[in-house]
Amino acid sequence: MDRQGQIINPSEDPHLPQETVLKFYKSMTLLNTMDRILYESQRQGRISFYMTNYGEEGTHVGSAAALDSTDLVFGQYREAGVLMYRDYPLELFMAQCYGNASDLGKGRQMPVHYGCKERHFVTISSPLATQIPQAVGAAYAAKRANANRVVICYFGEGAASEGDAHAGFNFAATLECPVIFFCRNNGYAISTPTSEQYRGDGIAARGPGYGIMSIRVDGNDVFAVYNATKEARRRAVAENQPFLIEAMTYRIGHHSTSDDSSAYRSVDEVNYWDKQDHPISRLRHYLQGRGWWDDEQEKAWRKQSRKKVMEAFEQAERKPKPNPNLLFSDVYQEMPAQLRKQQESLARHLQAYGEHYPLDHFEK
Amino acid sequence: MAAFAAIAGRLLGLRAAGTEGRLLRLRGAGLQRALLQPASATGDAAQRRQVAHFTFQPDPEPQEYGQTQKMNLFQAITSALDNSLAKDPTAVIFGEDVAFGGVFRCTVGLRDKYGKDRVFNTPLCEQGIVGFGIGIAVTGATAIAEIQFADYIFPAFDQIVNEAAKYRYRSGDLFNCGSLTIRAPWGCVGHGALYHSQSPEAFFAHCPGIKVVVPRSPFQAKGLLLSCIEDKNPCIFFEPKILYRAAVEQVPVEPYHIPLSQAEVIQEGSDVTLVAWGTQVHVMREVASMAQEKLGVSCEVIDLKTILPWDMDTVCKSVIKTGRLLISHEAPLTGGFASEISSTVQEECFLNLEAPISRVCGYDTPFPHIFEPFYIPDKWKCYDALRKMINY
Repeated sequence: MDRQGQIINPSEDPHLPQETVLKFYKSMTLLNTMDRILYESQRQGRISFYMTNYGEEGTHVGSAAALDSTDLVFGQYREAGVLMYRDYPLELFMAQCYGNASDLGKGRQMPVHYGCKERHFVTISSPLATQIPQAVGAAYAAKRANANRVVICYFGEGAASEGDAHAGFNFAATLECPVIFFCRNNGYAISTPTSEQYRGDGIAARGPGYGIMSIRVDGNDVFAVYNATKEARRRAVAENQPFLIEAMTYRIGHHSTSDDSSAYRSVDEVNYWDKQDHPISRLRHYLQGRGWWDDEQEKAWRKQSRKKVMEAFEQAERKPKPNPNLLFSDVYQEMPAQLRKQQESLARHLQAYGEHYPLDHFEK
Repeated sequence: MAAFAAIAGRLLGLRAAGTEGRLLRLRGAGLQRALLQPASATGDAAQRRQVAHFTFQPDPEPQEYGQTQKMNLFQAITSALDNSLAKDPTAVIFGEDVAFGGVFRCTVGLRDKYGKDRVFNTPLCEQGIVGFGIGIAVTGATAIAEIQFADYIFPAFDQIVNEAAKYRYRSGDLFNCGSLTIRAPWGCVGHGALYHSQSPEAFFAHCPGIKVVVPRSPFQAKGLLLSCIEDKNPCIFFEPKILYRAAVEQVPVEPYHIPLSQAEVIQEGSDVTLVAWGTQVHVMREVASMAQEKLGVSCEVIDLKTILPWDMDTVCKSVIKTGRLLISHEAPLTGGFASEISSTVQEECFLNLEAPISRVCGYDTPFPHIFEPFYIPDKWKCYDALRKMINY
């Protein structure tokens, strides 16, 4: 569809039912609302760090919708919409950001480092591109298990410069793995624009060099993303080969709460994308054009989604942090004796010096 | 789209609210139509981040290097880099995001001053950054590479350990990459978790052929960094990121050098030797005060500064005097650099020891997020270990 939400080529219309398209829209807007509230909460010192997804919601939701719910996802850090689409509850997003006792990750990682086994979303790590060869291995195992599953691997155009990306692409092709490489080309890697990241024709052009079928799509057109991912998935499973999708989009927000992008790009540039080519507005135009949405519903949904987010937020803030013993578990599957000794020494230390530690905020 | 435009506008308006400070978080001003009540309105101000675990102690204004200026750690780094590029026309600075000034502002202004061929961004690839830097250095030009966080140095481990460290040795001194310096932010920062808090010096201490340096302050950082840049061996310079803004003192504007492989006794004492580097030196200073005040114990505090090659003479001389040694670092205990110091000291000073050597370090786990206050070797853990050593 174009920027006004009109289908350009009817033969490419996925003809998704109203319910599905509304789910797309609600996932993207709920994510946007959550982003705004959590970003502000960091500015207020309530969480330590946050990364928003502004402008890239279409890449998350379009691709997630085209997958089976059991397809394994390896992400980088700007794919929260995939989890949102898979109905990861607000409570758990917040729990991870607050590192509270409900966090599935047990409070160990910085905010936005989500993971969910139940929803087949492998826990995020900060180092870039490390997930790429891992996704390939997982796909190989899925192939051997005849699982009829695909693995999808998300990364940015910056991460694609890492050696691990080269390794992953080459392994996927030579070992014939059912993996979808999904590159979010959003124009920037922190302050580094694409002109300083690569000199070739983006990431899609690299795929054929490895023998990987590749396509470039308009990442802000959720239907285009959906179509490309759907077809890639079908063929990856049927033919046991990798596919590369490069979704062109724009990072409207700062890299993170530790970044001020006005230091390296103009307000005009950001406003242009925000106003002229935003995946959420394009989809809304489509919905309104179909008579599936209107201003009143928009108003009501905004209110409702904000309320949902605020409730989850307030609850998350009130919950205690996990028991400090969880500092020591899961280093290995079994706790080595030496580590148990260290755990015991902390317990003794806290008995004597506990007043100097924020024990009141942690579970006992 | 109005609401979303307003959101973007508010995002950008936050520039005035100081988005650059990862260490500065409480920004009430500038959030016009805040969606959230301020935290105090919900009644739990104690949920905010902890006060830092250390107090930075500035050193007295240095007299012998000419005019000084108040600088924080990142400004002292910028000053060192500025001096280097001014003096050495071959010197170049490169890495991720250095062109606009760097994620910690260490390279602000340098590209404008020295040109885009001398201060430039590379693609996002640490193994490339270091390999490229080695190549520059092999030709004799000065390469100053930045790795964005020490936690991300590992893709470059092969280039550092197998190449940079061995270049001179394997070629029979035909070739070397001595004019390579790698800089990286290092150490805990309050909320960095697994991948923004690491202190990987121990991995590199095991690698003959490179030097590893960690400054405790702006004045030390500038002098040590200049020494690293001019040293004829490849050097890794770890910068305690928690000090980038928090540490402020008078720093000479002109270049000066602080020698590598020379530890410094920053406080003399007679009963216990305390050894640390980087941020932990300030923790140890406080532990020394606590020991004096609560136990009447006099501590000698040593800033090791250079991890490799390290100054065993200064440390041993001190332990011969005091008979007790406590070493502390954030990095995990097992295989941490304290183990090397401990092993050497017991070899050299066995009969002088009044108590087993004590190590107060991070636990043998990855660096946790929410549990950081329990993980770090804070002053209470160090004090307690000291007390036990005295009572041994």
